[in-house]
Amino acid sequence: MSNPVLEGQSAGASHPILDPVKAPPFPEAAFTILRNTQLRKNVAHATDVIQGKRNKLVEEKADWQELRAAGSALRNHVLENLGHYLEQFEERCTAAGGVVHWARDADEARAIILEILRQEQATEVIKIKTMTSAEIQLNPAIEAAGIKAFETDLAEIILQLGEDEPSHIVVPALHVNRTQVREIFARRMNRPELTDDPTELTGAARSFLREKFLRVPTAISGANFLIAETGSVVIVESEGNGRMCLTLPRTMITLAGIEKVIPRFQDLEIMLQVLARSATGERMNPYSSLWTGVTPGDGPQRFHVVLLDNGRSEILGKERERQTLKCIRCGACMNTCPVYRQTGGHAYGSVYAGPIGAILTPQLMRLEHAQTLPYASSLCGACYDVCPVKINIPEILIDLRAKVTDKEREEERRFFDPMYLGMIVANFLFASPRRFRLAQRMGRFGLRLFTRKDGWIHSLPSIGARWTMTRDLRGLPRETFREWWAGRAAPGGKRGR
Amino acid sequence: MSSSGGSREEILGRIRRATESAVPDPAASYAALQRYYVRVGRVGVDERVALMIERMREYDAEVVETAPESLPETIAAQLAASGRHTFVAPEGLPATWMPAGFEWMIDRGLSTGEIEKADGVVTAAFCGIADSGTIVLHHSAAEGRRVISLLPDWHLCVLRASDVVETLPEYFARCTKAPGLATYISGPSATADIEMTRIKGVHGPRFLHLIFVRDERA
Amino acid sequence: MAFCNNDLSMRASLFITCYNDTLYPETGRAVVRLLERLGVEVEFRPAQTCCGQMHANTGFRAEAYSQAKRFVRLYRDAETVVIPSSSCVAMIRDQYPGLFEELGNEELRRDFAALLPRVHELSEFLIDTVAVEDVGAYFPHRVTYHASCHGLRALHLGDRPFRLLAKVRGLEQVPLANLDRCCGFGGTFSVKNAEVSSAMLSTKLMDVLSTRAEYCTALDNSCLMHIGGALHRQFAAMRTVHLAEILASTEATPLEASL
Repeated sequence: MSNPVLEGQSAGASHPILDPVKAPPFPEAAFTILRNTQLRKNVAHATDVIQGKRNKLVEEKADWQELRAAGSALRNHVLENLGHYLEQFEERCTAAGGVVHWARDADEARAIILEILRQEQATEVIKIKTMTSAEIQLNPAIEAAGIKAFETDLAEIILQLGEDEPSHIVVPALHVNRTQVREIFARRMNRPELTDDPTELTGAARSFLREKFLRVPTAISGANFLIAETGSVVIVESEGNGRMCLTLPRTMITLAGIEKVIPRFQDLEIMLQVLARSATGERMNPYSSLWTGVTPGDGPQRFHVVLLDNGRSEILGKERERQTLKCIRCGACMNTCPVYRQTGGHAYGSVYAGPIGAILTPQLMRLEHAQTLPYASSLCGACYDVCPVKINIPEILIDLRAKVTDKEREEERRFFDPMYLGMIVANFLFASPRRFRLAQRMGRFGLRLFTRKDGWIHSLPSIGARWTMTRDLRGLPRETFREWWAGRAAPGGKRGR
Repeated sequence: MSSSGGSREEILGRIRRATESAVPDPAASYAALQRYYVRVGRVGVDERVALMIERMREYDAEVVETAPESLPETIAAQLAASGRHTFVAPEGLPATWMPAGFEWMIDRGLSTGEIEKADGVVTAAFCGIADSGTIVLHHSAAEGRRVISLLPDWHLCVLRASDVVETLPEYFARCTKAPGLATYISGPSATADIEMTRIKGVHGPRFLHLIFVRDERA
Repeated sequence: MAFCNNDLSMRASLFITCYNDTLYPETGRAVVRLLERLGVEVEFRPAQTCCGQMHANTGFRAEAYSQAKRFVRLYRDAETVVIPSSSCVAMIRDQYPGLFEELGNEELRRDFAALLPRVHELSEFLIDTVAVEDVGAYFPHRVTYHASCHGLRALHLGDRPFRLLAKVRGLEQVPLANLDRCCGFGGTFSVKNAEVSSAMLSTKLMDVLSTRAEYCTALDNSCLMHIGGALHRQFAAMRTVHLAEILASTEATPLEASL
């Protein structure tokens, strides 16, 4: 029984493009997605739930602001001394039996990982969810090498089997509802008898995966934190698939952005307290795992860490933008963002969506792509309020807008961009009170054409049409404030009106 | 094997240039970092244990308390109540913690196939963190390898009340040396990936039991 | 704190803002009426135009700076500057420092630093400087208050607007659900991302209309232009009004009817 409306709206029906090089501009992507009311309902529901839980826990945490301050200071300190901590991590991890690789960019990271898989003669790999691997588009490369890659997070399986893309960094399938999940599992796991009960669906995923955990000898993970002092890796999760992948296989490959390092084991006392509360609204997520290199007799006996730059060192060098790298990938910013609430993650055309995506993706792209993302915000500041490490996202958004505009200043197309021209003209007018007054009078006169009998404007041309498509605009009053004031102070004018 | 050598120097070079203006003494600036968050708990052992029990019951773990001398009986009662028969035990688990009447598989290198056959596992724990209801395993001899507390569906943990702290920072203060392996359990495996409906027991033991040994009174 | 009209010997320079001047002069007139009633002498420097926020937030930094310079030069010697727009005050407080640091000279930086503590948003000025909550207002209507993002998060206005509204005689305050959620205006965002802006607006309208208030008020006409524009489009039985106009309203001089 097919429902053409639902089908058109089902996850993966029109495959989202999360490659910033190819993705449509945000306003264009948003325009289509906004018509998917099922998705908007799912996104609003999911973010409301997490936010509610998060807010409750933050309210009860008397030292929440102190933790944020310490977390922010710690992450700033790490970035200022990033080389030192990465070298320390490499030394300790290597001493503990790990092999540390350095990848300058996505191409190199993929090549390193594929080489390891080749040496392992791997035909299959199991994966713990990691946005970093999506950032470097790892799965297609693995598949192209004839190796099967199995995602093991429930959300990632939903997306993998549904041929869909993540829309949130913590709850990647939040745009998919139970009916859609049932349809995907029934079809791809060959389980037509499944109902849409989440317990049953989860049970189906559990059985589907268990045999893989017990069989596949190679695993790929990301990292929540790398600990320099000890050379350890920390992974934080809810389902237990991480623990499975970390203990059962023979070989483990951990891919981590260079910014993931923290100085000491003890620093987890800050990070773990703020991460779980911010990400899933829990005091602590169900399972966190820490391991160091190789432990004889326990877990993978071959362990590789691939440290990924891919544009991060460039961001590091920018004074205002460096704080972007403080991010601990909690997702709280997207849970609170009123823009994300309306569009979900796919509109951002990147694996990193929401406020953090709007600043990270354009920077990773060196502002050659994703130039509309810094504008995908009303600058409300809610993200900054919730960020556990105090990234001033609005400040960076404004700075990136300046950088994008500076690029436009060099381009011919600016002469055809009504917004650009409008801004130049406005500045010209604001520079002189006489010009400004004249513009006010001209504007008042000109807009009379569009002002209807009720004194309001219902329709405007050009950029104005973007306003009047959903809002009226009151006609310009016949007297500006300054005209009123001038009349008031003049001889014979009415004072104290 | 890999061309990583050149990449390493290049990345570190980029980082060095990007952070040129930074203070060159990381140890000093690390020590100067301000930490005004709560680092010491405020309540006594009775309240700590009560808080931890409350948190664990919130996530449907079963918790009982026992006096030290009654521990073996309490373990036996828990095992009997489970209806299960075959249990994995870490190599260093005290003999008194393995009552008769059940089949014990001591882990001296059990295969996953063998572990899969067990109904449950019994381990000690390094520490408990009351605020979040977290059980900490450092995988010592009495706690066992990571796989044995992961594959079985039923896990009984024995924790001394004197090993319960109130806050996370206090746990770190207890670690005179950072562990090489650690697992932090704050609930049974769960997912909220389908419509934010919390479903328990995806991977990992679906049944978690804890025995508090009241070896310390306030 | 009671309404007073004694001689405060306080002079405030009104920065009306470019959009209030042109689109909402009645808000400016209300501010003047209100402050004079409280015994504040109001002056208006006609050389003023814009604070530069629109340009700064759209990426036109150099242009924003030139406007910032004009602002600082114009008000260098003002006793106090009062601004009935929290987003403009946020621009001055949050972004001017960076602009002057990067693009300015020593003298301008000094002038700005000296001026900054004397710049106030209207509700700040009333509560903190004039030290009144009861401004002698009368406005017998159901009113709901929307917390503009800049006022809420950048200026930390807190409960100031509520304290002022609570003392308005005849006024029934109706709480707005999700009052801290952005309405979707966001300056040029409202046209550059008109669809998303409108989606956010529809969510905001749901909360606003369900209060069944007669008026929706705020401290920023930018938000109110956006919310009010949609209310008007839908022939809703609710209108928007700046908080200053409510506070200026008395039995003798009730709220000026909008066009």
